[in-house]
Amino acid sequence: MGLFTKIRKKLTGASSASAQNQNYLKPDPLHPTLQENIQKIKETLGNSTDLMIRKIQIGKNRKYRIGIFYIDGLVDNKTIQKDIMKSLLTEILGTEVEEKISRDPLPLLKESILSVGSLKDIGDYGTFFSSLLSGETVLLVDGCEQGLALSTVGGEQRAITEPVTQTVVRGPQNAFTENIHTNVSLVRRIIKDPNLWMETRTIGRVTQTKVSVMYLKGIADEKVVEEVRQRLDHIDIDGILESGYIEELIQDNTYSPFPTVYNSERPDVIASELLEGRIAILVDGTPFVLVVPAIFVQFFQSAEDYYQRADFGLIRILRYVALALALLGPSFYVAITTFHQEMLPTTLLISLAAQREGVPFPAFIEALIMETTFELLREAGVRMPRPVGQAVSIVGALVIGQAAVEAGLVSAAMVIVVSVTAIANFTFPSFNIGISIRLLRFGLMFIAASFGLFGITVGLIAIVLHLCSLKSFGVPYLSPMAPFILSDQKDAIIRLPRWALFTRSKTTHPRNLVRQQPPQKAKPKPPKGEGS
Amino acid sequence: MKKWVLFFCMLTIVLLLLSGCWNRRELNELAIAMAYGFDKEGDQYLVTTQVVVPSEVASKTTGGNLIPVVVYQAKGATLFEAIRKMTLLSPRKIYASHLRMLVIGEELAKEGISEALDFISRDHENRTDFFVTVARNQKAEDILKVTTILEKIPANQMYQALQTSADAWAPSAHITLDQLIADLISKGKEAVLTGIEKEGPLKVGESKDNVQKIDPPTRLTYTTLAVFKGDRLVGWLTENESKAYNYIHNDVKSTVGHLPCTNGGKVTVEVIRSKSKLKGKVINGIPQIEIDVRTEDSVGEANCEIDLTKTETIEHLEKTAEKGLKDMITKTVAEAQKYKVDIFGFGEEINRSNPDYWKKVKDHWDQEFEKLEVKVNVDVNILRVGTTKYPIMKLIKE
Repeated sequence: MGLFTKIRKKLTGASSASAQNQNYLKPDPLHPTLQENIQKIKETLGNSTDLMIRKIQIGKNRKYRIGIFYIDGLVDNKTIQKDIMKSLLTEILGTEVEEKISRDPLPLLKESILSVGSLKDIGDYGTFFSSLLSGETVLLVDGCEQGLALSTVGGEQRAITEPVTQTVVRGPQNAFTENIHTNVSLVRRIIKDPNLWMETRTIGRVTQTKVSVMYLKGIADEKVVEEVRQRLDHIDIDGILESGYIEELIQDNTYSPFPTVYNSERPDVIASELLEGRIAILVDGTPFVLVVPAIFVQFFQSAEDYYQRADFGLIRILRYVALALALLGPSFYVAITTFHQEMLPTTLLISLAAQREGVPFPAFIEALIMETTFELLREAGVRMPRPVGQAVSIVGALVIGQAAVEAGLVSAAMVIVVSVTAIANFTFPSFNIGISIRLLRFGLMFIAASFGLFGITVGLIAIVLHLCSLKSFGVPYLSPMAPFILSDQKDAIIRLPRWALFTRSKTTHPRNLVRQQPPQKAKPKPPKGEGS
Repeated sequence: MKKWVLFFCMLTIVLLLLSGCWNRRELNELAIAMAYGFDKEGDQYLVTTQVVVPSEVASKTTGGNLIPVVVYQAKGATLFEAIRKMTLLSPRKIYASHLRMLVIGEELAKEGISEALDFISRDHENRTDFFVTVARNQKAEDILKVTTILEKIPANQMYQALQTSADAWAPSAHITLDQLIADLISKGKEAVLTGIEKEGPLKVGESKDNVQKIDPPTRLTYTTLAVFKGDRLVGWLTENESKAYNYIHNDVKSTVGHLPCTNGGKVTVEVIRSKSKLKGKVINGIPQIEIDVRTEDSVGEANCEIDLTKTETIEHLEKTAEKGLKDMITKTVAEAQKYKVDIFGFGEEINRSNPDYWKKVKDHWDQEFEKLEVKVNVDVNILRVGTTKYPIMKLIKE
């Protein structure tokens, strides 16, 4: 850590200088004259061309001059026209209100004229700019040291679409968008309970990103909620562009390959996590919502496990098989073929030996070549422009599948091992656990090539020990396995039928454990009196 | 921070120092030995190894133009020396963990096999689950030089054939190394090994021509059991004796035998299950062995005029079979007693039932064995008669 402290110390001077630039955030009071204000605002924004200023005059004899400020593109133009301009300019003409307005304009504007949904008073430049830049329209009246911020947020945004990263066959087909308001509403539409509480704060000195903490009052552990609040308040950064920023800044352990914060772009998943007593952190500008505390098994659970019948829950076992394959595939192959040939059945040994005839590299280098090629292909597949996608995949299939084997660079068995590993790696419902497994796979390959199965065993023990030491917001990462919680086993490796899941998971310390009536009552029974 | 740096330094040093040295061998650096043949030439051992040529075995190479194994031979004062000497001929070091067969030449077997077995059981690379056989009337090297076709690797052919015949045809026994050593060490049981023979000329057998003929002129075939006294081969059992040995030893899984009909012709019965038990007793200082054999049979072939629908016929058949089997076992035991070789493990049985008595006799057990009273009880149950009722022969005559 010493290194980082040093760097920070060096940089402190610079960072305080950058803070100086943001002096507009200081609560300087507004100037009473409109002209002065306009001058100052223009100056602060550097005459940016998307700042729109309309000057109008209202009241008897057009006595009052009013300035209307908004940022083009962030606001809904219709609202401004219909609910602000029209109300101010035409609808009050010749009415009683027009008479009264001469005395004290602001309360009248608020109470009787403006027909916008929500508005708030502003008295200083700090709030002025933060309102203006988040899409609100600000009214300043000449001669008043107060202004009004009107909610006119609008502009273009992406529609709600199907989830891209966490797809299901059966289940809701909508995903979060980049707009935090849409995202909150998507969760609210699922949980219509007054106990769904939400608090919003702005994080990021420059980006002023809205971050909302959502939890179910009475179910979520207050201590964890408080911990989340503290960790969020602790963040001091210039910008938040994605929830990943928040994740990295609040996670328990940075030097771990395993993610200790869960994320999802599915509203139904977030709702179910809230019902378990977890806490959701929504960040404006990204469809990925964070969930804490996270446990290891969570990353192997898909929403669909709960939507299909309970026997589908056995699919989870398959995912743990995939975990073993993805983690150990190449290292196991390398270890057995270079150290423990006696463990193979004779016929298999001969067929493997036949494939290795003429291969110039040791098995480990061979595995490394294939794994690296595959990782390259995968990275290219994600990163490349869509139109060239096909070309790359054809080349990839030929290079990996055929040419490498025919050219005698790698053995066919190695291609199979690497492909199985790759496919297994894609079966995880969470992308981020896949990244950790990928990383560990290479590490295990190294020790397998040096120490054989002995090394793999030691490596696995080290991984398990590390997992045992991890915690996410006070919850042991390996629970409900370590510490062992019997009642949580019904929804860990397998999922029992819905009527059996009558208590909430104890791992997250929910304050209310009862999910539904006891199984004796919940279990469906055939109607009485029917002959079988 | 310091702790981590130290940890990683240590890890790197350990990885660098230890990697690549310890026992690491790529698959294409191995000469996978499938069979060893041990012979004695003068006072030197001649070791023959059958090594797989992987590229000729695998399915992807369509050719099969070459023989999939190669034989390396070396002579040495001891076996280990001879095997290491093979590196003079072989590009790769002999890797013996996947050994399938150990063939011992008859000459060496007669001189004693304990020296040969010490090496092969002591070496850490070898398993103990391969079969041991004796080359009957010939040298082990000749056996390993015969090409085979259905299983392209001759050692595999020998392994599979021995296993199949031991399972379906009683007279052979698949003895693994650990079993053999246990038998040799035990004072109450002598060892037996199945014999193997090369039929036909070696000149043809060792070439590719052999397997290009529909009727290969040279082949390998198993014979009956070789009997050891101590670690020396002393004689060979006949086919019936070998069968009886397996009955007594509870090693019959399934076999076939024929019975005479009362009015001429033969009935063949298949043994589906066989269970035998040895019981040892010492009464008034006289040891006694009781052999109980119980078999379940079915009629597989009936070539005489009998009516298999009648229970009397079945009962009669059972009685004949019991008598035949009992005779066979009794004769075999008597033969073994004549040569004073307790291949059946009667001594061990006596040891189990009366250890005190065994302590007194174990050093001269072969003499006691000669006088041993052996009672044989055989119970044959014919359960099925196949899918037809009457013999075809009977139907034609009617």
